[in-house]
Amino acid sequence: MVIEITDVIISGLINGSVYALMAVGLTLIYGVSKAFNFAYGSFYSLGGYIAFLLFGLSFINNYFLVFVLAVPILLVFGFFVEKTLVAPLRKRDDWEIKVMMITLGLALFLDNSFQVIFGSRMKSLPPFLEGGFEAGDFYLSHQDVGIFFLSIGGILLFRWFLNNTRTGMSVRAVAQNPAGAQIVGIPKEFVFAATFAISTVMVGMGGILLAQKYFITPMGGWDILVKAWVITAFGGMGSIRGGLYAAFIVGMLEAFVGWYFGMTWTLIVLFAVLLTTLAVRPQGLLGKWG
Amino acid sequence: MIELVDVNACYQDFHVLKNVSLAVKKGQIVVMLGPNGHGKSTVLKSICGLVEKVSGLIRFEGETITGLGSEKLVGMGITYIAENRELFPQMSVLENLKLGAYSRSARAFEKENLEKVFDLFPRLRDRQSQLAATMSGGEARMLAIARGLMSNARFLAIDEPSLGLQPNLRDEVAKIIKQINGQGITLLVVEQNIPQITELADTLYVLEEGSISFEGSKEDARGNDHLKEIFLGM
Repeated sequence: MVIEITDVIISGLINGSVYALMAVGLTLIYGVSKAFNFAYGSFYSLGGYIAFLLFGLSFINNYFLVFVLAVPILLVFGFFVEKTLVAPLRKRDDWEIKVMMITLGLALFLDNSFQVIFGSRMKSLPPFLEGGFEAGDFYLSHQDVGIFFLSIGGILLFRWFLNNTRTGMSVRAVAQNPAGAQIVGIPKEFVFAATFAISTVMVGMGGILLAQKYFITPMGGWDILVKAWVITAFGGMGSIRGGLYAAFIVGMLEAFVGWYFGMTWTLIVLFAVLLTTLAVRPQGLLGKWG
Repeated sequence: MIELVDVNACYQDFHVLKNVSLAVKKGQIVVMLGPNGHGKSTVLKSICGLVEKVSGLIRFEGETITGLGSEKLVGMGITYIAENRELFPQMSVLENLKLGAYSRSARAFEKENLEKVFDLFPRLRDRQSQLAATMSGGEARMLAIARGLMSNARFLAIDEPSLGLQPNLRDEVAKIIKQINGQGITLLVVEQNIPQITELADTLYVLEEGSISFEGSKEDARGNDHLKEIFLGM
C-alpha cells in the first residue's frame, strides 16, 4: 500500500512536471499576445514524430542529438506558423476568434498529415535512460527522474530567459503593456512570433519526453490540449506561477484518481475540479482580472 | 528638425487629422493647444510612428519618415511620452528605465543616461526597486518622462504631462521641461493646463477639429480674440 501510494505520487510528480512545461508555454502565448492556439496539442504530437523520424536516421543514436536537432526545428516551425497564419489576422476585427479558427484548422491538417505519413498505429520512442533505483519493492526508473529534471530545467531556463535577457524583458513588457512596449521601440510583431516559437518548443519537448512513456498517435495531442487548457484556466490565464501550481495539482489528481477509480475517471474529475474552482474564483488560482 | 506637410491620419474609418502642417526647429519648445478630442495626441503619435494610417509628409532632419514604425524611429532619436504614461506595472522603476533604453542606439548610453535621469529625478534613484504599479500619480508621471529620456532622444513629443497630476506639481513639471530643453533636446508638448509651459514656448499651435487653426508666437496669441475665448486666463 505504501509502495503503491509512493508510485502514484511519483507518477503524479513526473507527469505534473511535463504538464507544467507545456502549460507554461500555452499561458505564455495567451499572456503575451492574447491569442489562443488550438493547434497546441498537435505541436505536442509533432515533437514526438520529429523525434521518431530523427531516431530513424542512421547517425542518430542518442537523445542528446535528438534534442539538439528538434529544438531548432520546432523553433523555426513555430515562428513560421505565427508569421504566416496568425500575424496577418491580428490587424482584423475579432482577430482572437479568427486565430482560434485558423489554429483549429491547422490542428486538423497536422493530425491528418500525421495519419497519412505515419499511419494510425502508435509509435514509440526508446527510453532515454536505462535502469533505475531499487529499494526492496520500491523502484524509480532513471528515465522518470530524467524527465522530471529536464522539464523543471526547461521551466527554470525559461524563467531565467524572461528575467535576465533583453529579449525576455521585452516579452514581459509586451505582456504587461503592448502600447508601452511600442512606445519604447520594442518590435511587437517579432515578440509575438518569438513567444509563439518558444511555446512550440516547450510543448514539442513535452511530446518527446512523454512519448517515451505513452506512445505517439496522430490524435494524441487533443488530450494534451485539453489538459494544458484546464491547467491554464485553473492556474489563471497568463499567470506562469499559477500554471505551475495547477500543473502539479492536475498531475497528482490524475495519478490518484487513475489509481483509485480507474483512468476513465480522470478527465471527469479534472473538469469537476476546474468547474468548482472557476465557480468560486473565475480568474483561476493566481489569475488577475482583465 | 521636425516638419509636417499636409499630414492626414485615420483611426479605422475615422479621419482625425486633416492636412496638418507644422514645423519644430532644433532646440525649440513648441506647444500645441486645442480642445480635447480634436487630435492633438494623434499629431504626436503620427510623428512617433504610433498611428497606422498616416499619409502626407513627415520629415526628421530632412529625412522622410512617414510610415516608419516606432521601433525604427526610437532608434533615430524620436520618442513619445504618453499622456496616460503607459508604464510596465509589474516591473521595477529600474526595469522600466532600462526598457526605455531598448533601442540599439540607446543601449551604449544606458549608464550615462541613467545617471542623468537620476540627477533630474532624485526620487527615482531612491525607489529603483519599487514596482511601477505602486507609485503615486506624480511619481509615475516622472517615471514616464524619465523612461522617455532613457531612449537618448533628440526629439521628444510629450503628451499632456499635467494629466492626473496634483496642481502643486505643475510648477515642477514646467521646470523639468525647461531643464530637458536645456540639455539640447527639441520638444513638442501638448499641454494647456500649465501656463508656465505655454510661457516656455517658442511657437504655439492650436489644433481644432483636426486642423491647425493658429500658428504664432505667445504675443500673437495674446492678441487673438478667438484664442482668448477658448483659453481663458492666457
